[in-house]
Amino acid sequence: MTGRTETLDTAAVVRASLRGRRFNPAGVAFEATLLLMLLVSLLILVTLLADIVIGALPVFRDRGVDFVTSGISLDSSTAGVWTALLGSIGITLIVAVVAFPLGIGAAVYLEEYAPDNALTRFLQTNIRNLAGVPSIVYGLLGLAVFVRLVDLIGLGGPDTTAGRNVIAAGITLAVLVLPIIIITASEALRAVPDTIREAGFGVGATQWEVIRHHTLPAAAPGILTGTVLALARAFGETAPLLVIGVATGFFSAGSAGLFDRLTGTYTALPAVVLSWSRQADPVFKENLAPAAIVVLLVVLFVANGSAVILRNRYERRW
Amino acid sequence: MRRLFLGMAIVSIAVSIAIVASLLGNAVGFFVDVDKGSLLDVGWFPRRNRFDLLTPIAGTLVMSLVAMLVATPLGLGAAIYLAEYAKPRVRRLLKPVLEILAGIPSVVLGFFALLWIGPNVVVELLNSPKPATILTASIGVGILVTPLVASVSEDALRAVPQALREASYGLGAKKSTTVRSVVLPAAVSGIMASLILGLSRAIGETMVTFMAAGAVGGALRTWNPLDSGTTLTAAIASVATGSDQVAGEALAFEGVFALGITLFFITLVLNWMSDRFVRRVRQKY
Amino acid sequence: MNPRLWVSLIAALVLVGAACGGDDAGTGDGDPTGGDGGSIVISGSSTVEPISARNAEKFSAENPDITISVEGPGTGDGFKKFCEGQTDISDASRAIKESEAEDCAANGVDYVELEVAIDGLSVLTSLTNDAVACLDFKDLYALMGPESLGFDNWSDADALAAELGAGHAPYPDAPLVITAPGEESGTYDTFVEFVIEDLAEERGAENAARLDYVASPNDNVIIDGIAGSDTSLGWVGYAFFVENQDKVAALAVDDGASGCVEPTPASIADGSYPLSRPLFIYVNTGKAAEKPELADYVDFYLSTEGLASVAETGYVELADYSDTFAAWENR
Repeated sequence: MTGRTETLDTAAVVRASLRGRRFNPAGVAFEATLLLMLLVSLLILVTLLADIVIGALPVFRDRGVDFVTSGISLDSSTAGVWTALLGSIGITLIVAVVAFPLGIGAAVYLEEYAPDNALTRFLQTNIRNLAGVPSIVYGLLGLAVFVRLVDLIGLGGPDTTAGRNVIAAGITLAVLVLPIIIITASEALRAVPDTIREAGFGVGATQWEVIRHHTLPAAAPGILTGTVLALARAFGETAPLLVIGVATGFFSAGSAGLFDRLTGTYTALPAVVLSWSRQADPVFKENLAPAAIVVLLVVLFVANGSAVILRNRYERRW
Repeated sequence: MRRLFLGMAIVSIAVSIAIVASLLGNAVGFFVDVDKGSLLDVGWFPRRNRFDLLTPIAGTLVMSLVAMLVATPLGLGAAIYLAEYAKPRVRRLLKPVLEILAGIPSVVLGFFALLWIGPNVVVELLNSPKPATILTASIGVGILVTPLVASVSEDALRAVPQALREASYGLGAKKSTTVRSVVLPAAVSGIMASLILGLSRAIGETMVTFMAAGAVGGALRTWNPLDSGTTLTAAIASVATGSDQVAGEALAFEGVFALGITLFFITLVLNWMSDRFVRRVRQKY
Repeated sequence: MNPRLWVSLIAALVLVGAACGGDDAGTGDGDPTGGDGGSIVISGSSTVEPISARNAEKFSAENPDITISVEGPGTGDGFKKFCEGQTDISDASRAIKESEAEDCAANGVDYVELEVAIDGLSVLTSLTNDAVACLDFKDLYALMGPESLGFDNWSDADALAAELGAGHAPYPDAPLVITAPGEESGTYDTFVEFVIEDLAEERGAENAARLDYVASPNDNVIIDGIAGSDTSLGWVGYAFFVENQDKVAALAVDDGASGCVEPTPASIADGSYPLSRPLFIYVNTGKAAEKPELADYVDFYLSTEGLASVAETGYVELADYSDTFAAWENR
């Protein structure tokens, strides 16, 4: 970074001396156009956030936390996001349970054990390709495989749910974020210098001991950051849930127990945004949907923010 | 331990096989059962037994290309400014803006497209008679892929060796000449990769189109972005939510997988192309 | 290694462990048959959805231990699920079709049909459209029927309207933008049945609306589409018109016999509005016998408080519910 700034300065000096004080209108116009593009992006972001926050403001001003802790309702003065928030949290936890160990295991294999052979290259290409598969395709996979599987092993809930529940949604989204976790965990492991490993081997540790005591702890900040970002992605994902039957209308889980909530019909925060944008009562789309979006964005910003802090605080430069 | 980890890595292959098998299995059933004439009928109306696959494909192409018309200047402009012009302090301030934009879920942009871009841009500014059009979705999707284009092409620009710029300055070239004639050509592979990746992401984007493109459940074939229309992804989501899980008419159900496999292969080819470009950058420097 | 890092690692693992443990505990305690609780799943017409959902909300306030979900994918899709046994109640904005009844019979699903309200399918245009105030069935056929494919200006339909002898042609020379529900919707079916069927049969045309209108399952998109263009056209259930009177205007409709009638609660209730139609709920009687909570919900639906939801959501109550009560009693 610093090296680069210095050379830029050198370039400026050379340029100035070569060109004298000539004003370069084409160059200025070019730079101005580029800056304009950046500012337009900024303006779009500001417009989007302002539109949503202004819409949401009356809800939080009049009701405050009540909006977050109330269940779904048709009455715009009492409707809240609690049911949906619970559904989204449940899904995200299942994603973590399924994708975190699998993703790290796969990354450890690829970075620490894998020989450089055709299988390894195939695995790596395959994972990159999976990362580019559109999310709705994962929804179709979930519908064709996971929903049936969950129902088959007896976790499908009542016959009116038949596997279209939090568990199937969690597994589907876990598979969706798995390539992201593998890729970021691989990068974190690759960034650990070989000297660390060699030091371990030097004192007679086995490969597993080196991984467990040295490589993984050293790569942990990067791995955790990547995982948190992947979980945030899962939290905001909507399209696959539509395909595998998230409830988009009125829904009350009542006082159902944990097992019934996991296996029964469910809804999620992004699905509520969608369904509120199509209610007849305009308060839903003008105020409540923006308020639900604010809750969604706050969760995501907190998650992303803590990931960045985690990375900045614990990341070691070698 | 090694075997356990190998097993975990192989899960990813199992996932790929499961995707292809579940898509193909149902799609083959569709192509066997469907009345072949209805594949080239006047539009995509799965509930009226009209399965013109070209309708959602045309919609997808129009939507994603127009989206790239939005994302390319915004994303590339921002990338070039950040990589070549911005002072470090400005860069530190502005880069997070793009990262925030990148972290916004697509359902939020879908909402924004439906209730803000539609009425304010498409109707007021462009004088369209209807707010929910392919163009409305395109603008939303364009905003969605802008940060992706910007971040990948910024990486490509920053990978161009400083020596090239200095050589150019040494020959007396102006900054803008250097950027345009030296840096951009040197980073062209990476920039292409970013655009292809953006296109692939736009094609695979569901929620914005589903919420804002208007006639997502059934539409006539159209190449006009000011028409309401549907895309591969929106047509899938639409059948899915219409019956709240895909369980409508048997053919419509299988037809959704035919759309899915088409989508899968289009994005696979694009991702493969972008991968090739990225590798070319790596080899060069 | 940095102790803080350990703390955050452990925190992450505890979180993961808690989730695992939660799963296990759930499997242990869980009683899928559900003691006091129980679940009710309602799907079907998006027109009837507001009534059923309102009742679901009132009902769950009194019975907080019951899981209840209400969705509105459309009457046709609702029956599809209902006859596969996936739902307990199917909302419908038209009576069940023969083919659907056969599906139910094939799967051993017995049901009872309960008429709960009357809706007046409302033909809408924008508030700024003062060129048109009333249309008859032939006008509607000329503008939105199967033979109007490609008409993007009202005047394009003049020739067809003249041929049919429609009452309000010639039409203004203005863009024609149509936004309405799609084929999954009972509201679409009703429109086709009332307005298009007879004329289409007579003329040998397809028994369907034109293909090139903007079809949306989202009633808000329909309202916005109609409000967004000066000379728009479309149709929705009465409740959605009532909610959006500040954005769209309802046209009076003439069935060709009794002159122009505007949709109002009175004209819908007495049937003088030609697009009045009954709204139903279909209850799976096998499940109602098995699941007391389902029977309780329907009892509540048909109580004074439950039926009040009809007017509260913008629909019109039946003059006499005794047939409905009798059907439920004799299930």
